Amino acid sequence: MNASLVDIDDLYVLNYCARFLARGTSEPRHDFGQFTPDDRRAMICESWRFPIVDSYFDGVSIENSYRYNTVTFVYDGRAERPTSVEVVGTFGDLYDPLTLRPIRFLGDETGYLALAVRVPKARVYRYRFAVDGRWLVDPVNPQHERVDNGELWSRFFTDGCQVPLVLNRRERDILGRMVAHLLPFRLPENWTFVDRAYNDLDHRASRDRRHFPLPYRLDREVGVVNYIDKLLARGEQHHADDYHVCLGLVDALLRDRYSGLDPCMLPTDAYQGLYQEMDADEVHGWDNLRYGSPRFFLLLLRRHAMTGAFTHPKSGGNSGAVAWAYLESRFRDENDETLFDWRRAIEAPLGHNTDYRG
Amino acid sequence: MIEEHVEFVVIGSGAGGAPLTHTLVGAGRQVLLLEKGPLFRTQDQSPTGLSDFKRDETFATGSEKRINIPGLANHGESFFSSHVEPDLNDEPHVYEGEDGKQRATIEGYTAQVVGGGTQLYGGVSLRFTPDDLRLASFNAGRSDLKDDPDGEVRREAQDWPLTYDELEPYYCKAEEAVGINGTWEGQEKPKSADHYQTPLEPNRISSFAAAGMDALGMRRYRTPLAVITQDHPPSGRTAPRDRDSIKTAFVNRYGDPLGLKSNTWVSLLSLLVGRENFELRANCTVTHLEAAGSRVRRVHYRDPTGKARTVTAGTVVVACSAIESVRLLLWSARLDDGFEARINGNGLLGAYFLTHCFGGAQCRVPERADKSKTLDSDWATDHCARAEWITEHGLWAGGAIYNNTSDGALPISLARTWGATDMDSMWKGYLSDLGIAGNRFEEYLELNFGRRLSVAFMANQVPQRTNRIELHPTVTDKWGRPVAYIRKGWHPHDVALMDIFAEQCRQILARGGAIDGTVSGGSVGDSVVRIANHVLGGARFGADPATSILDKDCRAWQFDNLYVTDGCFMPTSGSANPTLTIQANSFRIGDALLRR
Repeated sequence: MNASLVDIDDLYVLNYCARFLARGTSEPRHDFGQFTPDDRRAMICESWRFPIVDSYFDGVSIENSYRYNTVTFVYDGRAERPTSVEVVGTFGDLYDPLTLRPIRFLGDETGYLALAVRVPKARVYRYRFAVDGRWLVDPVNPQHERVDNGELWSRFFTDGCQVPLVLNRRERDILGRMVAHLLPFRLPENWTFVDRAYNDLDHRASRDRRHFPLPYRLDREVGVVNYIDKLLARGEQHHADDYHVCLGLVDALLRDRYSGLDPCMLPTDAYQGLYQEMDADEVHGWDNLRYGSPRFFLLLLRRHAMTGAFTHPKSGGNSGAVAWAYLESRFRDENDETLFDWRRAIEAPLGHNTDYRG
Repeated sequence: MIEEHVEFVVIGSGAGGAPLTHTLVGAGRQVLLLEKGPLFRTQDQSPTGLSDFKRDETFATGSEKRINIPGLANHGESFFSSHVEPDLNDEPHVYEGEDGKQRATIEGYTAQVVGGGTQLYGGVSLRFTPDDLRLASFNAGRSDLKDDPDGEVRREAQDWPLTYDELEPYYCKAEEAVGINGTWEGQEKPKSADHYQTPLEPNRISSFAAAGMDALGMRRYRTPLAVITQDHPPSGRTAPRDRDSIKTAFVNRYGDPLGLKSNTWVSLLSLLVGRENFELRANCTVTHLEAAGSRVRRVHYRDPTGKARTVTAGTVVVACSAIESVRLLLWSARLDDGFEARINGNGLLGAYFLTHCFGGAQCRVPERADKSKTLDSDWATDHCARAEWITEHGLWAGGAIYNNTSDGALPISLARTWGATDMDSMWKGYLSDLGIAGNRFEEYLELNFGRRLSVAFMANQVPQRTNRIELHPTVTDKWGRPVAYIRKGWHPHDVALMDIFAEQCRQILARGGAIDGTVSGGSVGDSVVRIANHVLGGARFGADPATSILDKDCRAWQFDNLYVTDGCFMPTSGSANPTLTIQANSFRIGDALLRR
């Protein structure tokens, strides 16, 4: 599999480097609990933005381009000024390193090196840098993956990724039950809508891979669980422990309350009652030593559920844009025209707009 | 190595820096424009055919981060910034709350990107009124001002050192060069030329605001918006064939990937790129200025790698948005007593910081509209900017009123601004409204989605010396420089004025038949932090060096070659959103610089 390179200019890279990497102080102001004390990423703003995952356009057809992202690897060599930086990864041939090129400003080499490749969406990849022949993980990107032989690699994933990365099966199941209650999709008529929308998408995707390139899992949480998983893997890594701890606590206390019944099988009322207790910040059976405030977790969950349900589907939630389609169908005027015509503004093929390319 | 020298260095590429750059470069003068933020291009400008701005709600408020600055009272609290606002841990503004505690705030930042705040703003492009520029004369001898027992308002009211008639040709120039749609009929501001493009059909929800204004006898007009609706020859931009597709609700707080929003990059600067007498350096943060006697000699900046660089200049123009410009000048003065004596000999640098008295009323309307097909505002009225109305209500100055159409138009923005009072309280209202869950979620959407209508006012704030920008004594930015410390409060007359304006807004909704349920209204009078990103004053211009920092041409009184041209020149904050006036004034300064 040869990686297809994308032409990006130096300015594109510097736009990220200046804001997130360049600085003159070493205070760890960007550690919100996600880093170990000696991790230099604590000094970097939004280190999770690297490598840069952006939209892709082949210059001709946005429809044909829609299956891909442009991923830009950046190596910050300002301190040691390496003579050669290469990257290998599962986005290309593992035996064929690609060379990062120096990024210049006013004709001078900046010490930043970068390379952009076209990468299919909805997947997880690992990569490593070779800096003057020495292999290392990306010192900026906080995402890692340990492979079978024990080696540590850097990791990234592309838009619409559905592969679980942070939460285990059990945690995802419990989380699915919890977010279902926070969204409008648990009313029977809305369940029907969501189910029908997914069946329709599935049907169309089987006929037309080009327009519906991303595989969608059928779920009544419209991808929110997946969205949260991706958020915890990248932009809000500092909340991963909140989820691990609290989902474990909820699992245990519900099992305890309902004499060993699987909490995923419990009726809605069980969760509704739990919310009321979490709201009051007094949950019977909650281990406050392990997690101080159940209410704090509820608020976190509410923000994530709302965002994940109605976000652009590229972030892994609102899968198949079903939540937007729900609003589109739910709210109509006297002539049965929709009152949420989101497709006008959003790029094709997800929406109808042909000026905007996403 | 020979140090670089240019004729003009302009610091900041937004409303204050771009227009004069346009004028100078057009006249063949050599300009280096330094901008702290990135250069985000439109699809057509970008080599990849894609813009860095996206129609994606998570771009307006990104991932959660936490304030992590020791010593601040909101240490550990969440914040959400857009992708072009500064990271609060890297570069906070600190303010002192009513409780005396200090907090970091996102309020008062304009965007850090080429184009500055004009990339993210809603584009409301109103002129100030002639009286806005002569509030000392307007209030001379008055004793009827509400809540002003000591006559302080009358004493602090300022006349600008220029008249509306002098500024008027530059309003015309800005309206033509920037690219604005709107209508004149119904405006109270005199104009010598009409350069507006034709507005698009208003959103249906705005009909309630229009009906309310009519019922109250308020003459109304289509809000002038800096968005092109037709081809725009001065900037070479073209409008899409389906003009209606311009309305997307990705307006306020979103950059425009198509470049239809008339930010200063697409309207004024991008067409200068390639000229040999112009260079734009994005991602370059100016850290301080260095002077020799009455001349600023050297501009010190960090390049995109953080490397310190310098450039010497014949003339230096500072236009970083008011708070940041004042910070740059204060820090330059801190490093050099000679600079301090010249820029701040009267102790007024940073003083008379201003924002706007603003607020409004909001309600649920009986009929749902598709609010995703909208720009930022449809109808405006100058009714409360008329001299008769102002005096009749015992106020010192007036304000503009207009309806907002893009607020809460998209599902996530409806939630994150639910009950939020400012940028710092984003999400908090929704999250603590725990009833919005399960079946009640459906009800929340039914009652609110496409049904929220707000009418807002923007009015003059009383200048007070105690409202000021300082350097914070302990908190530093990511370059180790002291951050801006905002000290501000409201005058009792401001509070009285805001109450009256909020009631006018409420009446517009009530008389327009808009209100289904309750109407919520109010103003920023109960919060010292709120700024609306209208940062003004702090280095005001005037006719007397004893009471101002800048002369009529926005030149620092004691420097031969230092100009300050963002909103900080304003001695009063005007009765409308400030951007168009900053742009018009910047064009005026451009001409003044050519005459030197």
